[in-house]
Order: sequence, then structure tokens, then C-alpha cells
Amino acid sequence: MAKARALDKRRKSIRNIRKITRTMELVATAQFRRAMERAVSAGAYTQRIAAMVADLARAGASVSHPLLEERQAKNGAALLILTANRGMCGGYNSSILRKGHHRADELKGDYEKFRLLVSGKRGVSYAKDRKIELAASYDQFNDKPQYDDVVKIADFILSEYLAGNIDRFEVAYMKFISVSKQVPVVETLLPLSELAADDTADGSAGAKGAEYEFLPSPESILEEVVPTAFRVKLFKCFLDAAVGEQIARRVAMKAATDNADSMISILTTTYNRARQGQITNEIIEVVSGASALQG
Amino acid sequence: MKCIVVTPEKTEIDRDASFVVAPIFDGEYGIGKGHTPVVARVGAGELRITSPEGEKTSYFIEGGFLEVSGETVSILTDRVLPPEKVTVADAESRLQRAKELPQTNSDLAAMKEKALAGARGMLAAARKWSKK
Repeated sequence: MAKARALDKRRKSIRNIRKITRTMELVATAQFRRAMERAVSAGAYTQRIAAMVADLARAGASVSHPLLEERQAKNGAALLILTANRGMCGGYNSSILRKGHHRADELKGDYEKFRLLVSGKRGVSYAKDRKIELAASYDQFNDKPQYDDVVKIADFILSEYLAGNIDRFEVAYMKFISVSKQVPVVETLLPLSELAADDTADGSAGAKGAEYEFLPSPESILEEVVPTAFRVKLFKCFLDAAVGEQIARRVAMKAATDNADSMISILTTTYNRARQGQITNEIIEVVSGASALQG
Repeated sequence: MKCIVVTPEKTEIDRDASFVVAPIFDGEYGIGKGHTPVVARVGAGELRITSPEGEKTSYFIEGGFLEVSGETVSILTDRVLPPEKVTVADAESRLQRAKELPQTNSDLAAMKEKALAGARGMLAAARKWSKK
């Protein structure tokens, strides 16, 4: 009986694990939907900013701003890596960290001073294990990054940038392309390469063709738009990362549940065979015992 | 006329209005029906929306832009708060923090100026609402 019982025990524990992974899959699905909604509703703002930039450009404002200029100086650089606070999401964290670590090494060679910032407990413990020095770490971002929290980081980076302490700021994160595709990327946020975050918005804005009055002046509005565009871009990175994390978790948990399913079915077959074998054995014993008595 | 208020997180307000008073960089700006197309910088302060039935609603908004085009007033702002969430104590501590910011070069000074203006606008709105 020993073998069959051990198999049954194992099957039970796999069933329990399956329950857990299945629940995590469902939770991740729900959170993914919520994160996705947030990312979509944040799109309204980005599109309007892009439309406004297009209007400003048509009004003849020259698009120049300290945040837009490529700097020759190579004094300092900063890299922010966005990882998750929790694991159980397949290769999500490791793929970003690999990408980020690689880029960090490159920046370290190119710039005199290099600072690494990490968001997410997974990234922080990665740096700790490898004894990498962190300039700052954040773990307050979960599946719902708040704009106000992101702005604090953005303003800190902006002031460091304007003070000349850093000449380049990059972010490594999981970029959302579609539900079935996310890629780890490193993007340069400062200097800002282009203002119109969404190239789709330009066309719709141009169609309106209204002559705007600018208060106080197109230049002054542009001065305000540029830092805002930076903040929103950084916020978008956080939102993308949150969506990517939930998708990765859902996929990982789905795979785990499927694995548990196939394992359970294999174990069930083995268990049944073992049980049958045992019964056969017992019958043989009884029959041979009986025939021995008769004889 | 439609009044839409969008923050980077979501669309906070989207409804009909007969008159909108928004805080812009140098004071309050009233927008009625058939207003000329305008793009303006938004300051910090009280946003008042009068509904077609004549009911007035106030919000605190801070930073961003205002755009009037056709029959739509769209406001892109960093923050929208209902009056009960704006307190004098909060605003005062913010003003204090803004005063302590460095201003070692012109860009940092501009950031400090902005923080001060934001805190002052918040304080003014908080004082007004606390009296009610």
C-alpha cells in the first residue's frame, strides 16, 4: 500500500499548488485589466499634450528648451530600472535586469559619474546580491503607480539635470507593445528626443486648424510643456511596467497551472496502476493461501 | 459647452457647463459660450464650473494647460482635488517646503518660483473654502 499512498499524497499536494497558481492567474488577469485601463486612460493626456505641441509648432514657436538639447558634457548619467516588487512572474524581472545591467556597464564607461536607481524590491535585492551601489531605490510602486509619486522622482531628476549633475537619464523597463508582446527596453528620457509622444495625435490636431491665442505666449507655454512631457513620459514607463508585470505573471501562472494539470493526470494513472497491482497481488495471495489449505 | 478636465491618470471631469472660471498664470479666466480659441498656462487655484442649470461646483487644480476650441474647454492639469481635501495646514507646510528649495541657477530658481506660486494658490483657495 505504501507506494500508492505516497503517490496519492503527492497528487494532493500538487492539487493544492494548482489551486494557488490558478488563483494567482485569476488575480493577475484582473489586475492586468485594471492596469491596462489605467494605461489607456492616461493616453488621453499624452495625446492632448502632443496635439498642443503640434498647435504650438504651427503658431511658430521655435521648439528649443534646455531639456531638449543634447549635451556635449559627459559628467554624469543616471539609469532607472523598473522591476517588480514580487516574483512569480516568469522571466519578467531577470530580462529587465539583464538589459539594465548591460546598459549600466556601458554608461559607467562613458560617463565620469554614474548613478543607478532601482524601483521594485526584486531589483533592489539583485543589486544587493551583486554589491552594486544604488543612488536611490523605490518600492512604493505596485500594480497602481500614482502620478504624484512618479512626479517626485521626475522632479528630483529634473533638478539634478538642470543643476548639471547628470547629463543623461535613461530608463530600463518593459515596454508594452501588445497584449502578447512586451519587450525590455532602455529609453533615453533626458535629453528629450521628441515632444510628440504619440505620432498619431499630430494628424488629428492639424485637422482642426483653429487659430489660437496664447496666454501669455507660445514660448512660455512651451517652457511648461517640456517638463510636463518628461513627467508624463516617465509616468507612462511606470504604467507600461505595471501592465507588463501582470501579463508576465498571468502567463507564468497559466503555465504553472497547466503543468500541474498534466502532472496530476500522470500521477493519477500511475496511482491507479499501483493500486490495481496491489489488488492483484492481494488476490493472488488469497487464492494461493486458499489453494494451499485445500491441498 | 463641454468642460473636460484631464490628469495624467485619467479624465476627471467631463460634462456640460454654461460658464467656466479657471485659474491661469496671472489670475482668473472666465470662459463663456462662443469663446475665442485659446491656449493658456494654468496656475494653482479654484476652478469653478457652472452647469447649464446654474449650479456651481468648485475644484482645486494645479499646473498644466487650458485649451478652448470650438465648444470645448479642455484643461490638462497635474492635480484635481475637491475642496474638502484642501486644508490650510497642508498648504502652509507646502509653502514652507517651497521656500526652502535651492535657487543656485536660473532653471532651479524657476522651479522654486513655480513651487511657491503653487503653494500660494493652494493656500488662497484653502483659506477661501475654510471660511465657508
